[in-house]
Amino acid sequence: METLVIIDQPPYGSWTGREALDMAFALAAFDQTASLLFSGAGVNWLRNRQITDAIGQKSVEKNLSAAPVFGISAILADASACRRYGLGPQDLPDGVVLTEMDAKLLARYSHTVFAG
Amino acid sequence: MTAFHTLHILNKTPDHPRFSECLGTLGTDDALILTENGVLALATEINLKTSRIYALTPDVEARGMAGTTRNSILVDYPEMVDLTLQAQRVISW
Repeated sequence: METLVIIDQPPYGSWTGREALDMAFALAAFDQTASLLFSGAGVNWLRNRQITDAIGQKSVEKNLSAAPVFGISAILADASACRRYGLGPQDLPDGVVLTEMDAKLLARYSHTVFAG
Repeated sequence: MTAFHTLHILNKTPDHPRFSECLGTLGTDDALILTENGVLALATEINLKTSRIYALTPDVEARGMAGTTRNSILVDYPEMVDLTLQAQRVISW
């Protein structure tokens, strides 16, 4: 029984990504195995040096760095979406695993949910 | 900064259908300003179809894009207001 939470929305423009992250953290906090997959424009969550003072929101970088503390099983990023948005393996935070989002990947999870 | 016909304010990612609709209506005398999620277009290789591209600095910085602004001109909020005044009309996508 493992849940995959897919975030395909970019950070800051809406709250849907944060809500999905909270859901993944809540699952993990209650010992339900959960992983995160960033796909589409959602891969922009993974950029470093997000300076958010001027937009009045907290950086999602910090939220995401709490994932190991909550016991998130894995943080995955769709490789083709990373290429589209100019993110190389060296740009991603430690522990993020590049993968291809396809039927084979989704077959590994008993539950899959999307942000928003 | 010279006057232009239409200022297109685009706050959608390239994955949003309205992004392509916006680019499809850009005229040669038009300017484009990328705000919010729109600034993520600067990380891609998409042809933005105009040489007058502006991007809102607070949104660029928030998204970790400060080193990835291509040929855009970074503006702050007061400069964005000036741009809206230079345009004969404004479209908020």
